Amino acid sequence: MDKILIIDDDEELCELVSEYLSAEGFEIESANDGASGLKKALTGDYDMAILDVMLPKMNGFDVLRNLREKSKLPVIMLTARGDDMDRIVGLEIGADDYLAKPFNPRELAARLRAILRRASASDDPEVNEKLDVDGIQISASSRVATSEGVDLNLTSVEFELLSALLRQAGSIVKKEDLSENVLERKLSPYDRSLDMHISNLRKKLGLRADGTERIKTIRSVGYIYTVV
Amino acid sequence: MKLFVKIFLWFLAAISLMVGVTVFLNWTVQTEPVVSRWRVSIRNQTNLYTDTAAQIYQTQGESGLTTFLERLRAAETIREVDLIGVNGRSWLAEGVEPGSYAELVGRALAADAVEIENHVDTALSARQFELSPGDRYVLIVRWERLRMAPFFGESPYRFIRYGILLLTALGLCWALARYLSSPIGKIRDATHELADGNLNTRVAERVGRRRDELADLARDFDVMAERIENLVRSQQRLTRDVSHELRSPLGRMNVALEIAKQKSTPESAPMLARIEKESIQLNDMISRILILSKLESGSDDVEHERIDLTALVNDVAEDANFEAQAKDKSVVITRADTCNVMGSDNLLRSAFENVLRNAVRYTGEETSVEVELETKNDKATIRVTDHGGGVPDHELANLFRPFYRVAEARERTTGGIGLGLAIAQRAIRAHKGAITARNTGDGLSIEMTLNCENGLSAPSRQD
Repeated sequence: MDKILIIDDDEELCELVSEYLSAEGFEIESANDGASGLKKALTGDYDMAILDVMLPKMNGFDVLRNLREKSKLPVIMLTARGDDMDRIVGLEIGADDYLAKPFNPRELAARLRAILRRASASDDPEVNEKLDVDGIQISASSRVATSEGVDLNLTSVEFELLSALLRQAGSIVKKEDLSENVLERKLSPYDRSLDMHISNLRKKLGLRADGTERIKTIRSVGYIYTVV
Repeated sequence: MKLFVKIFLWFLAAISLMVGVTVFLNWTVQTEPVVSRWRVSIRNQTNLYTDTAAQIYQTQGESGLTTFLERLRAAETIREVDLIGVNGRSWLAEGVEPGSYAELVGRALAADAVEIENHVDTALSARQFELSPGDRYVLIVRWERLRMAPFFGESPYRFIRYGILLLTALGLCWALARYLSSPIGKIRDATHELADGNLNTRVAERVGRRRDELADLARDFDVMAERIENLVRSQQRLTRDVSHELRSPLGRMNVALEIAKQKSTPESAPMLARIEKESIQLNDMISRILILSKLESGSDDVEHERIDLTALVNDVAEDANFEAQAKDKSVVITRADTCNVMGSDNLLRSAFENVLRNAVRYTGEETSVEVELETKNDKATIRVTDHGGGVPDHELANLFRPFYRVAEARERTTGGIGLGLAIAQRAIRAHKGAITARNTGDGLSIEMTLNCENGLSAPSRQD
């Protein structure tokens, strides 16, 4: 059973979420402040963490930043609704996904499953894909992407996005497909999370030596990893 | 007319009047005695000339008299000398007809004193006398009129003096008008800024260190602005805090609802679905209030990245079209010029999205919403036109007020909570743009104007 850590100062919410997610087949533990949450997260007992941004003692961003120094534990951020900066910052620091609060618990469960499935894909011995395109190496088994030998520190979503693009390098990958295969949800109008993940991925990849962008946007269709 | 111009002209008029009066008084006071002295001297000289003429005639005869008259004519202040005899003998100056001075001669003969007659710039003096006993003559002398020196003298520098006087007067008037009108202008600007929603506008410092009613007015303005700011801020804070606090129980309710659904029976399922629908609406409303209050509180810290407005408009229009198709409506782009703007992608996207979704919501079935992006003179105008009947003209300005609903036509049944356009307006304003609404006849047209940033030098944000 997947063990999930929820870090949120709203105890009642934690209880309710535990009850709901238990019924959905997860095992839940909670922490009510940033410091104890970080401590628990670092024990390695968990498969995933749900992290609220607004926390006493240490806010969610700091928890995530500290966590990312030592651990690749998948994290889903709970951001304040209507606060775009929060989710942009969250994704930049290395959250795997975000959900605006108040959230729909069904969606939370769906996202948890999607992220967990990706994370466990690396344990699958059958997937031992290795890609080496344009100076970027991807190893599906270790889930590490490197550029010229340097670890890019990608989150699991970014890793999947990059793999999907590199697998079809030189040809357009549709937004719908990326959304369904990587985010595991249907592309809905006005949803910008795919664009946001791609934009973070671009920043981590950097420009080519000649100053060109590696990933190009084909407006209203999708993205393409350009080949030189 | 502008206050500055008015004060300027009034003071200029006052100064001109004062200069005029001074010049006039000066002139009359100086002129009077000089003129009367001049008349006395003409009289004396005329007397002297007649006596001398008589003497010369007696000692030297007619030729001597002629020479004497010639000498008189050569004098600088004398223009003309005539000697007219009662018997018809005359010594006339060139060009003078014998009968020319008949009237003056008559008066001179009747009087036993010098007669003086003023002309435009000469004066005539006449005196009767006898060349020899019983032989009466009248001597007429035409004198140069006395010319008063002009106020500024006749030196070639007089124009410079005129100029200096004029410039000093103008400068003085300008300074005075400026002194009086500039604080008023500043206070007026501040009032405009405050009205535009810039609540932290203060003016006392701009007016400077004065101690008069205008400075008092500026200080009073600041006190007023302070109070308004506090009122508005506390109201905004209240809205934001309430919405913020509402989110926690709402979040818990969402989870509890899902748990209830897990355990629901077929009878309770429809009601739970209903509760979920309402909770989603509540959720939506709260997030919009929060976006709005965020925009209203600190909209100065807008991000500054280069945004391809054309792509943004295309993206959102495409999403909106997708959504509209489900309701037998559509969104068409009729024009899309290229334009880049500096600002926040999220804010502009949400502004345009709110306007567009609003239009899609109200446009009639089987009609389309037209989107137009026009770039002209570094200004980009996005026009969104629907075919939904429009709104009454007097409601147009109210459309951008939060929670405002146009009474008859646009009811809650159409969805939405009356915050979309308010959010759009705040977002556009945060980009120093403008948003306006007008009726087109069969629908509403919302126009957003932004400053284009098409220069190639500005670097895009790439962190």
